[in-house]
This record gives sequence, C-alpha cells and structure tokens, in this order.
Amino acid sequence: MARLVVAGHGMVAARFLQELSALGHDHDVEVFAAEDCEPYNRVLLTDLLMGTAGGRDLRLPGIEDPRIRVQRGTSVASLDRHNRRVRTSDGTTVGYDHLVLATGARARTVDLEGIDSHQPPTGVHVLRSIDDAAAIIAAASQARSAVVLGGGVLGLEVACGLARRTASVTVVHPTGVLMDRQLNAGACEALQTTLAAMGISCLLHTTAEKVLTRNGNLSGLVLSDGRRLDAELLVMSCGTVPETGVAQAAGLTCAPGVLIDADTLATEDPLIYAIGDCASPPEGSSGLVAQGWEQARRLARLLTGSPVAAPSRTPAPTDVVRVKGGLDVVSMGVNAAASTHSSQRRIQLLDASAGRFVEVVVDGDRIVGATAVGAGSTAADLTAAYTRAIAVPKDPAQMLIRPSDSAAGRTGSPTTMPESLTVCSCNGVSKGDLMRAWEAGDRSVAEVSARTRATTGCGGCSDVVAGIVEWLAAGDPDQTTSSGALEDDTQRKRDAHEMEMSRG
Amino acid sequence: MLLSILQVVFSLGLADEHYLRTRTTGADAVRAAAGYWWPERAEGLCGVPADEIRRAAAILAAGSPAHGGHGTVILTGRGVEQGIRGTDTVTAAINLALALGLPGQPNSGYGPITGQGNGQGGREHGQKCDQLPGYRSIEDPAAREHVAGVWGVDPSALPGPGLPAVELLSAIGTDQGPRALLIHGSNPAVSAPDSQAVVERLRALELLVVCDFVPSETSQLAHVVLPVTQWAEEEGTVTSVEGRILRRRQAVDPPPGVRSELEILADLAGRLGSQVAFDTSADAVFDELARASAGGRADYSGLSHALLDEESAQFWPVPANGVSTPRLFAERFATTDGRARMVAVDAGNPTTGPDISLVTGRVLQHYQTGAQTRRVTVLDKAVPEPYVQVHPTLAQRLNIAEGDIVDVRSPRGTARARARLSVNIRPDTLFMPFHWGGSGCVNRVTEDVCDPVSGMPAFKLTDVTVTPALGQVC
Repeated sequence: MARLVVAGHGMVAARFLQELSALGHDHDVEVFAAEDCEPYNRVLLTDLLMGTAGGRDLRLPGIEDPRIRVQRGTSVASLDRHNRRVRTSDGTTVGYDHLVLATGARARTVDLEGIDSHQPPTGVHVLRSIDDAAAIIAAASQARSAVVLGGGVLGLEVACGLARRTASVTVVHPTGVLMDRQLNAGACEALQTTLAAMGISCLLHTTAEKVLTRNGNLSGLVLSDGRRLDAELLVMSCGTVPETGVAQAAGLTCAPGVLIDADTLATEDPLIYAIGDCASPPEGSSGLVAQGWEQARRLARLLTGSPVAAPSRTPAPTDVVRVKGGLDVVSMGVNAAASTHSSQRRIQLLDASAGRFVEVVVDGDRIVGATAVGAGSTAADLTAAYTRAIAVPKDPAQMLIRPSDSAAGRTGSPTTMPESLTVCSCNGVSKGDLMRAWEAGDRSVAEVSARTRATTGCGGCSDVVAGIVEWLAAGDPDQTTSSGALEDDTQRKRDAHEMEMSRG
Repeated sequence: MLLSILQVVFSLGLADEHYLRTRTTGADAVRAAAGYWWPERAEGLCGVPADEIRRAAAILAAGSPAHGGHGTVILTGRGVEQGIRGTDTVTAAINLALALGLPGQPNSGYGPITGQGNGQGGREHGQKCDQLPGYRSIEDPAAREHVAGVWGVDPSALPGPGLPAVELLSAIGTDQGPRALLIHGSNPAVSAPDSQAVVERLRALELLVVCDFVPSETSQLAHVVLPVTQWAEEEGTVTSVEGRILRRRQAVDPPPGVRSELEILADLAGRLGSQVAFDTSADAVFDELARASAGGRADYSGLSHALLDEESAQFWPVPANGVSTPRLFAERFATTDGRARMVAVDAGNPTTGPDISLVTGRVLQHYQTGAQTRRVTVLDKAVPEPYVQVHPTLAQRLNIAEGDIVDVRSPRGTARARARLSVNIRPDTLFMPFHWGGSGCVNRVTEDVCDPVSGMPAFKLTDVTVTPALGQVC
C-alpha cells in the first residue's frame, strides 16, 4: 500500500479525498489540517455575511474511509524531499511515497501606517476563514461605518453583506474599474448604478494611506487624496498570497504558487503534487474553486489509475466568475477586461443607467468569453452556453437579449401570416383551416370554432382567431358579415376577457 | 437544480428541522452534499438564474404545512426518471420533499407522474419482472411464501427475478434468450428505445403472440394476433398516483368473438396443463389479487369490487378488517425503523454538453405510441404527423425553415419529421413526440442505455445531429 500524505484540508483537499475514496484506492492516507474545524465551503463565507447561510450549512460532505486519517490543528512544517519525509507542527515525522500540497492561500494584507502588525487595532479584518467571518459579523453589529479595501469579487460581496448590517459602506479601489480583472469601464459604470442603489459608495483610483484609531479601536482612514473617512470596521480584500512556505524552503519553484505540470499536476519533484490555491498551473491560478475541484478530480483519477477523461465529454471550463450577494455579475473566458485576437468577434450592449452590460466574444461558432452585469436570465443562458460549449446563433448579437415569450410567428398581421401557420395549437388549426371555414360559409368566430374547434382548448388563440375572422370579413368582396356577427365577436372577446380576469 | 433548491432550503433555514430529526435518517449527509450546489454555481450549468432558484425554494417552502401553508406537492414527470441518472434525480426530488417536511402532511408530499393509464395499479400487483402483488419483491421469502399460499403452489415454484424490459427486448430471439413472447397491449416496435434493433429481435422470435385491440405496428410482426377487449368493454379498477383505487365499469359490449385477456390466459393455462384454475371474471380476479397483496405495502385485502361500488374514497393499504389510508406516511414510513431514509446524491463533475440534445415526450392529443389515437379522426387531424420542435436560432444555424422536413440522426438511426419553430425550447435542444411508427418514429434515434439502478431507459437525452431532408414524411 502506497503512503500518501496530504498537506491541507480545505475545500480542494476535501474534494480530492472524497473523489479518491469514491474511486476506490489502495493508499494509506495521512491528512494534516491546519484548521481545527471540519472542512467548510469557503466560497460561501460571504453568504454568512449576507445572512443567507448559517455556519452549519458551510460544512462539506465528510468521508468515512478507514484508510484516510485526518489530523486537525496540525500542519506540515517542513519537507525533506531527499528522504521523502515531512515534519509536522507537533514535531512528528511522517514518511511518504506521494505528497499532495493543498495548503491554499492567505489573505494579502496591506501595510498601512498606523497598523502595528504585532498589535493591530480592533476593527481591522480580512476574510479568509470561518473565524474571520464570525469576527466581521460581530464587529459589524457595533460599527456605523464600514470600509472595504479592494473592489474585486470578494470585496464587492463583502460590501453587499456589510450593507445589510451597517449604516454606511464604502469601497476603496486603486484602479478606475471595479473587478478590473473581469470588467471594463462600461461594465463598471453599469455595476456602480446597482451598488449605489444598495447604498454602497465606491471611491475609484484611491488607496488608503493611514489608519486612525481611538483607544486601540479603528476610527477612520486617511486616503491617498488626503480625504478622511470615518470607519469603525475595515475589511481588507486585496487579494491572496499562496501558502508556499514549506514548498519554497524545500527548493520547489514557486511563481507565485508552486509550479505544476498541466497534465500530471506534479511539481518538479515527480512524487510531489500541488492542487488548489497554493499551485500555479501553466494557465495560471484563477483562485476559483471550480479550477481546484477539477484538479482534485483529475489527481484522484491519476493516483488511482482511473481514466481521467469521461468517454464522450470534456470537463466544463472552470473560469466562470459569478458574484453573489444580489449583484448580478458574471464573467468567463475572454472577459470584458481581456483583449481579443483578430479571429475573435466582440459584441457589446451597454445600458449603464439601467445597471446593464452584456458582452459576448465569439470565435467561429463558439463562445470563448462573456461578461454580463444586471442581465438576469441572459447571464444564466450565456453561462450555460459557455460551460456546455454549445454553438452560437448565426448572429451572436441575439445572445445579448432573451427573446420575448410570444410564439414564433404568432405576432404579425393576418395578411403576412402564412396559411400553414398553426393558430390554435390545442386543436391544430391553421390559418388556412380558418380560411376554408370562411369559404364554407362560416362568418363569425363562433361558427368557425364550431367547425374547426379553434379557441375551444385553452382559449389563448381567441384574439388571433378573431383578428383573422375580421381580416377575412374586411377582405371579402361579398361582405356578407352582418354587423350583428361582429357584435357577437366583440361580446365574445369581452366575455373571454372577463373569464381570464376571474381566473386570476 | 434540485440540489440547488435544496441548498437554499437548508441555508435559508426553510427546512423542517423537527421533521428531519424525528422522521428521517441521513439528513446530515444530504445537507452537506447539497452544499456543493449553491445557486450561482448551479446557474452556470442548468441555465436557471440563481434568483429563480431561490424564488422556487421560497414558493415551495411557503406552501408547506410546516410554514403554515395549505400544502406543497412535488411531482416529477418522466423527464426526471428517464435518464441514466434518473434514480439519483428522483432521490434529489424526494430529499427536497423530505427537507420541507412534506410526505405524510395534509395536501403535501412527493409523487411521480407516469405515462400509462394504470401504470400505478399494474406495478403494484407484480406486473414487473422482480415483483409480487402488494408491491413486494419477488425475492422476499415471506412474500413468496404468502403469495404461493394464495395460489396453492409451493414457494419454490415461483420464479426469481426476470430481465427488465429493455434487457428482455435485446435478449429475445437470441441463442440464450427467450424464443417465444406474449405481448399484451404494448407496442415496443414503436415505444422501445433503439426501436429498429428491437424490431429485428421481435422478428427473430420463433413465436410472437400479440393481444391488442388495434392493429399496432408490433401486432403486424406477430405470428398470432388475439383481439382482446378494450377498456370500455371491461370491468376493473385503476389506481392513481395517490394510491386511490378507482372502479372502472364496463360501458359497452365487445364485438362477437372478442375475448378478454382473463379468458385467454385461463384458456392458455389450461392447455399448458395448469392444475390451478384461473378465474375469468374480473371481480374474482380482483379478490385473488387482494388476498395475494395482504400484508404487502400496497395492501388491497380489505377491498372488493362490491365495496368500491359503495365507497369511492379507498386508498391503500386497506387491510382486511382495516381501514383505508387516505394519507400515506402520516405516522411512519415503510422502513424497519419507520423513518424515511435520505440518500445523499451529487450531480457529479460538470462537463461540456452535446451540441444538440433530443428530448422525447408526449402531446396532448395523442396517447403513447398513437396506436389508438391516430385512429381517432379529430385527434389525428389535430396533430397529424411527426414533428420536431426547434428553437429559431438553432433552425437558422442549421438552415432550416418552419415546416421543412428534417432528419434527426444518432448512431442508432434516423427519424424524419417536420420542423416546427418555437422559442419555448432551449436553443441546444429538440423535442419530438413519440406517437408515430415508421420513418417518423423517434425511438429509431434513442439508445437503450439505462439507469443502472432502475433499468429505466434514457429516453430523455440523446445526442443528435439534424439536417434538412428531401422527401415526404410517412
């Protein structure tokens, strides 16, 4: 039995172990988890802030596998590659045949004047762990004003969560575009409309220089333009730094995460693998859990000798960034912040004051990227089309707006409607059938209905049928419709309308 | 998507925690597994916006008795079951119902809507290869003993489980498989997945006997056709999705020379040397099934045609000398500890999809393979020919116009039908009803892959290509 050591037990490591166990493995697995608690869903930490999840709901599925042992509150402290051993934080030495590094990343903190790193003032937080979330929630209950440093995905989700808890929330962002890895200026403009409506102010092209305190508690910030902001709560969301201390000390190349091979997920040491936020694959680490989970799936298959790819399907792309918290923002692939190649076609819709921006990038007949802000169901359609690699329409601009629900061809005048068009779908009656009923002598909706059964099903075609009968009457040179028959029709419409209303 | 609704139910505190604690087992694993599918993640895969997923959860919860609602029922149709992960999908729906505390509560619960007129009643009395009357397993020794006793035979005379339908249809006419087949009112030449392969197997039988009341496509392949009575010419019962047994009364006399299946089976049994006498009157046969089902989950032993003629609202189990059970699961579930067992399911790892998926199904005007309804003038005129529903942007991409004849193709075969454009379908999906045989038979295209647990064929999702065709639809 091969010995497998796993350093880390966060979302990606937990998924890896679950997949390994489900595939049936013959490894003896030792897992070292820095955190004391069971692994949880870190992506949903902002849901805790927003009040849309309880702590219990963040638990990930556990595994019951006698050959996988987890030691909580114990991390890998050093790595001896030559002798294939790790030393843990409690001094034990453990040998391995294979080692998986899944140590994740930590929140980047910014050096601000006034923050003594040995004794930081209360009110200054990062959000990376479940303890961080609990601390922020507690602090928010006491704070009037909150500031979020960094308007990336996490910063904006945090701001949304804080907006429900404090009176004032301000996002301070260094560049001119929020989420500048995903959005462009137009999309940002649309997004700010929505943020403003939620009571969140944004200060762009701004950084914080200094922290002000009173009796060891945060009381305000001084910004790069000299302005002063009141703040009792500051959350720094300035990115993450991969936890690669142990790997670097052991001589593994890191830039910034541990470099791994695209196919084997191995580092330059063939017995050591790295997955999740601590790793840097050739395509770069996106920090998205989808990428880490796909790595976890592949590594589990590689280590158990199972086929990596499903027979007829390729794994879905893992670079969809979807912002939660009531902000309708999604970006994927060649997004609004990315530049396009000459073979790619970029189509945009900007409706900033309505909070909407939609863009799709097409190469040939496939979507290679899309960005949507405030676009509701269109965003869901685009994401599903991208994720499932579905071909685009001839005019990709049609993807920017969802068509209205009227049946194709139902609108349009009786004159231009083809005779073969089905007007009453319940009974399969076409315009041509109605015309033949007219030719056979029917002169009112009631008579046409009796012959063809049109309008006798759901009644949804009543208006269209009445319109065709009127059109037939208007065009008939004999004009044998009596005004009485038309009045019957009008009354019928009124009755039908009343029935609709009472049905509610 | 079901998992995501469940995730919302748990994370917003909409679950009936008391119900989960006292009436179920396995809730924790289900809660954790649902945690993989928060709405924003599910949205990217199923295309249903996260907000709508949340709204669905809110609506379902608001109606549930635990939240003071008048009742919430979760019903699933064939689309949920007829896929290779049908069992898992249904399990997800059941978990959702249990999380909301629905089964056993007034006006609430879970139910599957199936396609046949009395699929429910038939299944309950052993019309499945692995079951005995009363909704019991043919391998359960106690059930075997009881039913054998009712029939007056030794339990060892009862066979073990047979082949599920799809497997059976691919085994007939092969060296190791059955050489003779009796088919009653079924039309597998049109309704079975990979239908052309099934037709070959039917042709390979030494003896095919079809009992039906219309000349279906399958009957055309038979060596012997026995015309039988039609539903309006018979007495009997049907059972609904809520376990309500309904009396079905004869309305007209059959034509002269037409026998009922009870008469045919009795006659056949006699000629095959059966020592057991088979009743041919429906109420006597019902009484026999009632006795055979005694003690089973679907216990009919307290019922008879006479009782059902008097009392209309009878729900199983109705034990002899007992009372009807209008609300199943009010007190306990049919498990050894009386608790519902929740099984965690996961949707798996996301993959890219097929370019075009075919979904099969029904239209209002036709029933099953259309063998009956295509012979009713008004219905046939309403929907006279096979068609395939296509989204306009897909049609445009494929250079197909409304009304064009197209070929829908898979590795198993081709179906030809008229294209009808509609925005009420996804641009990557086609819908084709299965009510026709011949070149418009959509099951020429479907595959006989099945859910590994239920054996249910995956009718609802086939990878296909579509091209314009020349020629008329048959």
